[in-house]
Formats: sequence, C-alpha cells, structure tokens
Amino acid sequence: MKRKIQVVICRVCSQGVPVLDVDKLAKTAAEAPYVGSVVTVDYACQSKTISSIVEDAKTKEADRVLVVPCSKKDVSPSLFQAYVRRGKINEFLIETVDLTNEVILPHREDPTRAQEKAEARLAAAIARLAALEPLEKHEEPMRTKNLVVIGAGVAGLEAAQVAAGHGLHTILIEKTDRTLKAPGVLLSKSRLLRAKGHGGNFELVIEAGEKEETLECAVIVVASGGDWSQGKGSLTRSCKEAMPLFRLKDSIDSGTLPSGPVVIVDTPDPKGSTMKAQDFAWDDALDLAMIAKRASPETDVTLIFQEMRASGLSELTYKEAAQLGIRFIRYDNKSPPTIDEKDSKRLIVKDLAQDEVVSLRFSTLSYASIPANPDNIGIADALRIPISLDGGIRRGSMQRGPVTTPRPGVFVCGSAMFPKPEAVARAEGKAAGILATQFVASGTVEYGGAVAEVTPEKCSACLTCVRTCPYEAPFIGAAGKAEVRTQLCQGCGMCAGICPSKAIDIHNYTDEQLSIETEAYLRGGF
Amino acid sequence: MSERRPKIVGFCCEKHGMDCVTLAARSERQYDSSVRLIQVPCTGRVDGIHILEALENGADSVFVLGCLEKNCYYDTGSIEGRKRVEYVKGMLAETGIEPERVEMFNASSSMAWKFHDIVSSMKDVAERLGPIRPGGGDSE
Repeated sequence: MKRKIQVVICRVCSQGVPVLDVDKLAKTAAEAPYVGSVVTVDYACQSKTISSIVEDAKTKEADRVLVVPCSKKDVSPSLFQAYVRRGKINEFLIETVDLTNEVILPHREDPTRAQEKAEARLAAAIARLAALEPLEKHEEPMRTKNLVVIGAGVAGLEAAQVAAGHGLHTILIEKTDRTLKAPGVLLSKSRLLRAKGHGGNFELVIEAGEKEETLECAVIVVASGGDWSQGKGSLTRSCKEAMPLFRLKDSIDSGTLPSGPVVIVDTPDPKGSTMKAQDFAWDDALDLAMIAKRASPETDVTLIFQEMRASGLSELTYKEAAQLGIRFIRYDNKSPPTIDEKDSKRLIVKDLAQDEVVSLRFSTLSYASIPANPDNIGIADALRIPISLDGGIRRGSMQRGPVTTPRPGVFVCGSAMFPKPEAVARAEGKAAGILATQFVASGTVEYGGAVAEVTPEKCSACLTCVRTCPYEAPFIGAAGKAEVRTQLCQGCGMCAGICPSKAIDIHNYTDEQLSIETEAYLRGGF
Repeated sequence: MSERRPKIVGFCCEKHGMDCVTLAARSERQYDSSVRLIQVPCTGRVDGIHILEALENGADSVFVLGCLEKNCYYDTGSIEGRKRVEYVKGMLAETGIEPERVEMFNASSSMAWKFHDIVSSMKDVAERLGPIRPGGGDSE
C-alpha cells in the first residue's frame, strides 16, 4: 500500500494568536515519514484555496490528508467533500488536528513549549494517519418512510402532527379505544409486541384488536405516557393509611384532609435503594406542603427527605416553604424513618442535622409519588431500549439530544420518561417529530466505516462482547464465533476494549494504531 | 534542560471528553503543556495495554477522561472505562508501581473547570512520584 500524506496547515488559524512558528512546524512535518507534501495556506476554508490544495494532492498523488484547521468543529465540510469527490481520497484517510484548542489557546503564555507540543502533536497525527486503512461506508435504502408513534397522548399526537406536516406517513398505536382526530392512521386498542431490525428498517409486530399484524417502519417515537406507581415499600407496609402525594392533593381539594400534623416522606420505601423521588416530585411535595400549611396555618407540616432536589426556580419555593414554617428533616438511609411499634401514629426518624432521634406524631402520612407506566416495560423490552429504575424510558446522552434513546431511530417524548406538565410534553413531542423527520429525510441508512470487526480465529465465543455492547451488535453466528451486525454498530469500541481474546478490533482505533500514536506523541520534546 | 518535566498522558473520549478539553482551552485559563492527549472513540475502548504502553513510553501519570456515567454518549462506555482503569491500577500495584499514577475521571462537555483540576492533580502525582523506577519493587 502506498502511503503519501499531504499536510495542510492553515496559517491564519494556527497563528491566530502569534504563538506558533508555522514555517518551523511545516518543516518538521515535511521531514516526517510518508509525508509527500506540506502546504501552508491562508484560509483553508476558502473555495479558491480548497481547489488549489485538492489539485496539489492530486498531482502529488497523495492518498491521505492531514488538515490543521481552526478547530475540528469549524472545518468547512466542503473541504472534505472536495477531497472525497475530486481528489478521490477515502473519507477515512482525512484527519484533522485541532492545534488551536489543544495547544495554542491553553499554552499561549509559553510559546517555546507550545511549539514543542505542537510539533509532537503533528508527528503523532502523521504517524497515526500513516497507519490508518481506507474504509468503506455502505448504504441501505429505507423500505418505507413510515413513522410509528406509540401512544396517542399529548406528546404522541404532537409528534405525529409535526412529522405528518413534513410528509411522513404516520401510524399511531393507541391502547385505548378513544376516538381521536389523528394525522395519519390510528390503530386503537393495539399494542406493540415485538420489534426487529434497526433504525431505518424496523419490523414491528403489533396486536391490533384480536389479531397480530406486522408493520414496517423507518423510525419510532415512544410517547407511551406515564402514571403513578402504586409502589409498596417499608413505609406503606407498616402504615396502611400512608398515601401518595396525588391522593393527598385529592383530599386537600375535596376538604377531607383530617386535622392534625401532616408528614411527607420522600419515598414509599426509605429502606430500599429503588423508588427515589424525582426532581419534579420535589416541586409537587413543596407545593402541596405549602397548600396544606396555608389551608390551616396551625397545622404542623414536616417534609422528611434524604436529598432535597428543588432545582431551578423551585429553589425559591423551597425558601418560601421554610419561611412559611414547614419543617424539614434530613435522614440517612442507614437509619430510615420507621413507624413507632407502640403507636402507629408516630414516625421515628433520626435527624441528620441535629444528630438526634425525633418522634413525630402525624394524622396524615404521605409520600412522594413514584412514576411508573407498566406498559413501558413491554415497550422497552420489545424495542431493546433501557428503562430507568422507576419505570420510565431512559433517554440517551444529552449530547445526542433530550428526546433520543441510546438506540438510533427510536425517540422518546412526554411523560414516558417521567411525568411532566402538558406544555413540556407538547414541546418534546414537537422535537421528537422533527428529529424523526430528519432521520428519514435521506431515505437511506448509512452504516459501516469505523466499526468493530471480529477475527474469527481468535474468538473463543465467551459472550463478553455480546453482554457488553449497549447496541446488541455482536452475536454468536452460525460458525460458533462472534460476529458484528454492522448496521447496529456505533463504533464505540467497548467490545474491542473488553475482549479477553483480543479478537475484536475497531477500525481506525486498533490497538496497533493507538500504540503508534502514543509512542510517536511521547517521543517528542516535553 | 535544567529540571525534569513531568510527562502526563490523557486518553479522552471524543464526545464529552474532547469537548471538555475544547471548552477548557477556550476558558482563558492556561494549563501545563506537559499534557499529551490521545483521542479514543469512547473510554470503553481504552484497554489496559494502552495505559501500560503510555507508561512504558515514559509517561509519569496517565488519566482517562470520559463522559459522566449517567450521561455517556455510548450509554455504558465510561462505566466500562472505569472498570478497565481499576484493573490496571491493580496490575500496577502488583508490579510495585504506584497505582495512583493512573486515574479515571468523568466530566461533561460543559465542565471546563474540571479539566484544569484533572491536569493539576495528575501533575502533582507525576511530580511527587517522579519517573517510574525500572524494576519497580523487589523482583526475585
């Protein structure tokens, strides 16, 4: 394999703050192995410059390119496109080095050492680039452009409305037989049973009325809504009259709240580790405590909690509640509050702040409601998406977006995650609808590239990769060796890191490539 | 070269880890230039061998920087990364090398201050322990 690297250094960006000696940098780069040509340009993002550097790469027969732009995220996509289309350079052989953010800005007060580090960084990048291999991406057409929305509630209808507005064929799956004006097809009295496939080409099996039907779709929005758990815990078992917050609200509203002290605990199960109150439950707890206190100011209202999470503007509510005279007691779950064995109307709790045991008389005992939707378990299981401890669909990393799940092509919105106000659910529905539209816009699923690959000879079929992968990409194939479903692989490399037989490698981040880079980077001056 | 400079290597995930580095760079604060960062797709990709090779190539301390555990881009990647780092620490302790030379950190892309803290703590370790003594403890 011939290896000829073209290094493009953008003068303006690398010198934005005059820290680095670009000419010296270019000279060091030119001396590195495999470097065919070094071009220093002003404004690598200008279209005129792009044509000339691509032309240079063509005449010098470079097959890989190292770009040193302003910052990785600012580099013009048209530069890469020009290299791929006109320069016929594999897209996986174009690397960028972010000297601005890695060297110039954080070390501009020490230009000598910054120069040393920049040269070492460049040498490491060149060594890494020389070790890379060209890769191919594959495309698979989406068989349909259907969007399936699970749940025709506030969020689900909003998502369907937005997606339908962009021309997606939407199918709503609703478990009740409510008649709704829905944008698209509404399958009432139906539920999701199983799902196959991957983002872009899902195949769902749904139960519609009495019969089972298969349904092909490109993208799924989960808007199954939420409910309150009827959770049983140590507290609810020992005190039968304990009620969740939403019941407390009902009895305050209807005026049937018995007179006497009110105690609100943060969870129905203070001994356990599950069923923890969510942030929003604190808003409710504080609001209700204040309503109860305002209704009869002589009543003692006490909030017992492990961790007060009144976030954002609720902090003000917390302060207001304290000013109103509501008492707060913090406990540790090693000594959780218990009902007095002699008097069932007394709660014993160890106050963490005062370090003393308090016995509280109450006539009403309430606990923060824990959200749950029993349907979520089935949906999460069918779609292979994670579920949180309190029964909501767990969303993926915030960097992927607030309405995404870790699984591409599956979005989640509304109270399916945890109960939330209508306006928020509607906004999330809108977001999910737009993201679903964006997902199917190209009409093809792209996969492959820098993904995992198994060397079958080394594989001992120990199932470690199968268990570790969050996307369920590896499986044990017919030959009794692990294989990777390329369509599902996201290229994180967790399987490659964990494989005890070292049978999996992730393209462009192989063990060898990483060692070459480390070695080259540490060889330079410090 | 009057004094010996510490060598610090950081394996950063390309999601929150690298974003944290970028934000730290833009925060107008300077950090020590003896830090060398190597990008990996996810901290779950980091294998013991990569950390050990960095130490072998002369690094005094190595850190691994990944997403927050509950907000990892690849869902469980930074949890896996931490397991790997703990494993390497155990291995180092066995060979007589101070395990605190290797550390795992989590940061989100908005926690710029965290990166400065990481660099200063790893620099402290590198300066306090000095270069790895060949042979380490008493073999044979």
